Amino acid sequence: MRRHDMSVKQIAGVIMMLVFLAFTFLPIIWAIILSFRPKTHLFEPIWQSPAQLTWDNFDTLARSDFPFALFNSLVTAGTSTILAMIIGVPAGFALAKGRSHRKFIASWALLLLRMAPPVGFVIPLFLIYLNVGLLDTWAGLIAAYMVLTLPMVVWSSWTSLSQIPDELIEASLLDGATLFQTLYKVVLPAARPGIVATAVLAFLIAWNDFFFALIITRGDTVTAPVAIMNFVSYATVDWGSIALASIVLTLPTVPVIIFANRYIVQSMGGAVKG
Amino acid sequence: MKLNNTHHAAIGALLACTTAVPSAALADDLNVILFSMPYTQGLDQLEADFEEKTGHTVNIDVVGQDVFESRITLSFTGQTGDLDVVHTPVIQVQRWIEAGWLQPITAAVDAMDTKDDILSGPLDAYLVNGERWALPFFAETGMMAYRTDLLADAGYDQAPENWAEMLEASAALKANDQAALAMRVAPGQGFNMFVYPMIMRAYGGTFFADYPTDLTPNMNTAEGLEALDVYASLMNDFGPEGIGNFNFGEVAAAMQSGQVAMIVDGTSIVAQALDPDASQFADQISIAAVPTGPNGRSPAIAVHGLGVPADAPNAEASFAFIEWATSEDVLTKIALMEAYPDFTRASVAQNAEVIAKYESIHPEFLNLKVQMLGDAIGHYRPLLPQWPQMGATIGENINAAVNGIMTYEEALETSDQDIADIMAE
Repeated sequence: MRRHDMSVKQIAGVIMMLVFLAFTFLPIIWAIILSFRPKTHLFEPIWQSPAQLTWDNFDTLARSDFPFALFNSLVTAGTSTILAMIIGVPAGFALAKGRSHRKFIASWALLLLRMAPPVGFVIPLFLIYLNVGLLDTWAGLIAAYMVLTLPMVVWSSWTSLSQIPDELIEASLLDGATLFQTLYKVVLPAARPGIVATAVLAFLIAWNDFFFALIITRGDTVTAPVAIMNFVSYATVDWGSIALASIVLTLPTVPVIIFANRYIVQSMGGAVKG
Repeated sequence: MKLNNTHHAAIGALLACTTAVPSAALADDLNVILFSMPYTQGLDQLEADFEEKTGHTVNIDVVGQDVFESRITLSFTGQTGDLDVVHTPVIQVQRWIEAGWLQPITAAVDAMDTKDDILSGPLDAYLVNGERWALPFFAETGMMAYRTDLLADAGYDQAPENWAEMLEASAALKANDQAALAMRVAPGQGFNMFVYPMIMRAYGGTFFADYPTDLTPNMNTAEGLEALDVYASLMNDFGPEGIGNFNFGEVAAAMQSGQVAMIVDGTSIVAQALDPDASQFADQISIAAVPTGPNGRSPAIAVHGLGVPADAPNAEASFAFIEWATSEDVLTKIALMEAYPDFTRASVAQNAEVIAKYESIHPEFLNLKVQMLGDAIGHYRPLLPQWPQMGATIGENINAAVNGIMTYEEALETSDQDIADIMAE
């Protein structure tokens, strides 16, 4: 009887998982189908005209500003992630292993920055940028993204690096390593899962940003999420290009996630490399 | 680990790139923001012509409508002075003037040699409080597109001439298992409130008791009720599945894919139905006037222009761009390059190449458009600063009525109350 109950539960679980997977993946599958459909058959079910496929949307997308916007996204998200890691990881290390009595204040300040709504930052940033000439520049957007990513990197590094045994650090210092060498040659390799996961999350935050880019970019630095909105015009919505652009925007994150998946899972489990 | 020369060079290069490379936009003489439509897309391609002609450099930013709204709101309210020319829909102009966001261009317009070539209706749509606030580049009007084959099957050899006939023809089409008519139902002053007044005014309904002298709300009348009943019946009884949230994109797609037999919308949507590259049944689609009602015909009208923001630093250069962008030469080029039949100069309408292009789409397209422009009234949607807010609210109520969330009476009564509240603010 008990075995029967278990199998019913398992079946229910599988069904729920399949429903959830369908719910999650159907929009993506639909977007992929739309990407290959000609305008004249865009709103027909695929089974009514399965042979009606086209590369036109690829051509439209290639001739639009979207590839340029994608490049802007790559530069700004990538650079802001690298800079946030360069600054944030040592900061997290200092908070994790330093002997400051003001860690409580630091933790509150970081939490506040993480929880504050983006609109609280973007309007002052816009006005400052306008006056100092940083509007519509990579530097301005990268700095703005670091407002989002740096507190997350510091907080996350603090958590990850706290799990490194103090003895390991002390042994390294006793062996004559500098603090800098200890951090980069001993601590970071040991905390690799958490650090990689942090970098991936920081990149995704910047990569998927719409709001900051909407306000502080113009034609020269527009990013991909904003450029997608430009396919909605006064009298037409270019659904095929929107669908294809959405898929393209998702693609670079896939290898990142696959590559970093192991580390993210380990990071969630709180693992430290042995 | 010490930073070596390679590291220093890499960091230096990174900083140099991030600060220097894409900083050109705001260094341009003129920054122009437009939302995406065939005219603005065409203008973007002609940017170099302006630079060559005037010596000014210009950055034309053509963006999606939502992006446009965010950018201009931030620029106007922050008085940032970062925009020199702004896309100015006539429906927004009263609000922008009242908020002090535009500067008048009256003297410059009056000094133009070619002012008389601009169609007077669209030109005067920007004449507010005795001043001119923008020059028009786009004047769209209402029109009907219909499937000749489907209507013939239902026993009609021409399009319905009035809304009562539209109901009869729709019933006949439904008897053939064919969805009859699609119109915008999604709520919004530019969505259902672009098309619904075509029926409301045809039945004698009005927004106000006697616009513009008596602004007492007046939607909840017998005429208004009859119009809403016709609109809701056409959509619910004879429209395609999901019509309750249709916007212009879905309306165009429904006609292009053969989902419906008729649409009533703006010329920019009707033109898409006639486009053989986008429409499966383009060769079986014809066009007709917007149906009439007991009170006559009231085609929708939408006018767009180019204005100068109040804080634009160089108004003279801004107007030089506007004059060039709305010139005969530029409008003709764009009319030939893009699907842009909504130009605003008489000389463009007389251009042989332009006539030939649009006659090939449909022989009657330009003539019918002129006829519809003649029938349209300037205050089709009230020219009030409060209209954008008012139109959005009324649109919600009308949408709720069509979707059965409110009764027709409740929707109109609530609309009257909302209008009164907004006017009192």
